[in-house]
Amino acid sequence: MAAVARKNLHLVLSNELSGAFNLLLQQGVRVVCRPGCTLGELLSGQWGIDAEYVSRRITTLFLNCRAIDDVATAHVAGGAVIALSGAMPGLVGATMRRGGFYAAMRGAMTYREGVAGEENQVDWVRVKLFNLILPELGPGFLSHGIIMTAAELLAFITAREFPAGCFTAPPAIDGRLQSTGELEESLALAGEEEVHLTVEFKD
Amino acid sequence: MDRIARIDMGAAGGPKVTEEPVGQYAGLGGRAMTSIVVATEVHPLAHPLGAENKLVISPGMLSGTTGSMTGRLSVGCKSPLTGTIKESNAGGQAAQVLARIGYAAVILEGKPEGDDLYKIIINKDGIKVEVDNSLKLLDNYPLIEKLRQEYGDKVAYMSIGSAGERLMLAASIACTDPELRPTRHCGRGGVGAVMGAKRVKAIILDDEGMKMRPPKDAEKFRDANRKFVEGLRKHPVTGEGLPAYGTNVLTNVLNEAGGYPTRNFKTGVFEGGAKLSGEAQAELETRRGGNPTHGCHRGCVIQCSGIFNDENGNYVTKQPEYETVWSHGGHCGIDDLDAVARMDYMDDNFGVDTIEMGVTIGVAMDAGLAEFGDSAGAIRLLEEVGKGTPLGRVLGSGAEITGKVYGIEKVPVVKGQALPAYDPRPIQGIGVTYATTTQGADHTAGYAIATNILKVGGDVDPLKTEGQVELSRNLQIATAAIDSTGMCLFIAFAILDQPDTFQALLDLLGSFYGIEMTGDDVVALGKKVLSAERDFNTRAGFTKHHDRLPRFFYTDPIEPHNQVFSVSDEEMDTLYNW
Repeated sequence: MAAVARKNLHLVLSNELSGAFNLLLQQGVRVVCRPGCTLGELLSGQWGIDAEYVSRRITTLFLNCRAIDDVATAHVAGGAVIALSGAMPGLVGATMRRGGFYAAMRGAMTYREGVAGEENQVDWVRVKLFNLILPELGPGFLSHGIIMTAAELLAFITAREFPAGCFTAPPAIDGRLQSTGELEESLALAGEEEVHLTVEFKD
Repeated sequence: MDRIARIDMGAAGGPKVTEEPVGQYAGLGGRAMTSIVVATEVHPLAHPLGAENKLVISPGMLSGTTGSMTGRLSVGCKSPLTGTIKESNAGGQAAQVLARIGYAAVILEGKPEGDDLYKIIINKDGIKVEVDNSLKLLDNYPLIEKLRQEYGDKVAYMSIGSAGERLMLAASIACTDPELRPTRHCGRGGVGAVMGAKRVKAIILDDEGMKMRPPKDAEKFRDANRKFVEGLRKHPVTGEGLPAYGTNVLTNVLNEAGGYPTRNFKTGVFEGGAKLSGEAQAELETRRGGNPTHGCHRGCVIQCSGIFNDENGNYVTKQPEYETVWSHGGHCGIDDLDAVARMDYMDDNFGVDTIEMGVTIGVAMDAGLAEFGDSAGAIRLLEEVGKGTPLGRVLGSGAEITGKVYGIEKVPVVKGQALPAYDPRPIQGIGVTYATTTQGADHTAGYAIATNILKVGGDVDPLKTEGQVELSRNLQIATAAIDSTGMCLFIAFAILDQPDTFQALLDLLGSFYGIEMTGDDVVALGKKVLSAERDFNTRAGFTKHHDRLPRFFYTDPIEPHNQVFSVSDEEMDTLYNW
């Protein structure tokens, strides 16, 4: 797998904007990883999420739209889509729960090795965070970094209409400080180039 | 709760009230009461809107006590939408107040001659039935405002909007919440049309001077309630997920699972799902000064209801439920929470079931009455229902009739009732419940009640896909029992995972009635209710051939899992074998 050259953009935002990325995180963001491992290794080994938290808190997981019962055996390929959720209500919520009593109701929706999708030669997976997991893990993923194209990022920043003064420190592309206008101009020029975005929230 | 009141709306000389001891119905409440009364007393071939049908209103076995989560009210009748027996339940204040006044059931019978419209006032002194034609064709919000001027704020109201008066088959019965908003509805099956046929516009419930119902063993009851509440609070679903996001927390997960029926069940994933999610909804409500954490009745510790405001901070409606957000949202290709909230308000105001109405609009979109994704078009169609135009009357009669009127082949109904927000192709077990329940397609008929603890029918191996019928049977039995207690179904998750919380529930029932309750008693109650309902339906002409999903679920695979519904008819026909 070839290394991908990406610009690095670091944003320092006011804590008040900690929810600004919530829709994006629910829709899914690309996160750099070394694929070809189990889901458990990815979550805890590579991303440092405490195994006890994974076991106790992330009770509903999907890999490529299929419900996961055992993170130790689910194989994650590059380009996979991983969704992380807390316990859900309803019969269907109970049905989707990892190792739950009603898992038998899922049928083909259950993940089984060999049906999770084709190997994709990329160094990322798409991660979606739902409900209780969203505020708990969202800041960590943003701090660790997510990948977006410059065009996607520009559209996101423009749509959110980040208010003046929301940047606690000037945005920095590859360590070079930029004004908001310069940032938007740089992103517009970069178009479909990939950007590794890291976000920090401060008072 | 030692009395039953019967109100003969068709009595010579005007409505006549009689009271009697509970008699053969002793010990019943909620769904057990409504279904067994209907099965015993209503002719199965009666016209649902005729004088022979009865509308049975019953609080749960624990309603009116200090027990937490006991505020569900059941309404039962022969359904004009399905032709089957029907039990529809709602939260709000009505169950608690009616139980404290002392009625195990209020049964509306007969049908008056003429056009007069009635209101019923129930308090410690008895029951009065009065003509009030000034209420004619008022919708629920203005109706309750008018009634509050006369009866005040320390009562609970049940009412029908214009849809119920017009006998629309999707009509609901509204129950007011603690703020006296008509937001909690006995929605399914057209129960509002039955109330409308009896010409009853509103029921005013006043428990002034009445006390909480006393348990036989007060100390044990108090202890059981404490343990029960602790169990609810410590569980991640009832203590965190539902309070924070409401039932709409399911949107993202169903969408991710590929089980979110989109654009009238054409695919299982909606690209706009995240915009409709409970997470987005809670954030919006908080930002606008609403509230994502609110109880629909006093004594609720889960608080999954909420308040949805507009961008100026003004009240729009209560927090729409997952099924409502789905039916008016993804089912119609709409990803705008403000549009969904507006339609939720309109549904509550006109008095129609949000599931039936949203599914109907999706079917109407397939018929070309509006484009999928056209929120203004959807609102326009709903306005027709409120106006009672000929088109509105068709739409207000539900998805099946709308589909027939416009020649739509794929109409998602079972026994005439619209399917809720879970596609039965990727989730086969819920398809079994939709097909076989006595109520028409209903996701709450087989809820995730603790069949693992009850051990009804034995354990099911979670690694096998067989056993969908057995699971559905057990869930339907357990749900029928819980629906009889007056408990909110959302207690399911805590009692599913925490045997001590389940025991606390049994102890609540046992200490209140002075008996020893076991899991076997719960199962026996559930079977008794289901057997009575099934027997009524059989006598009404329903056979195993009605226990089927619409054909397209067997023939049209759905993305992303490319599955069809594949549980065999022979297997489904064994569901009621016990």
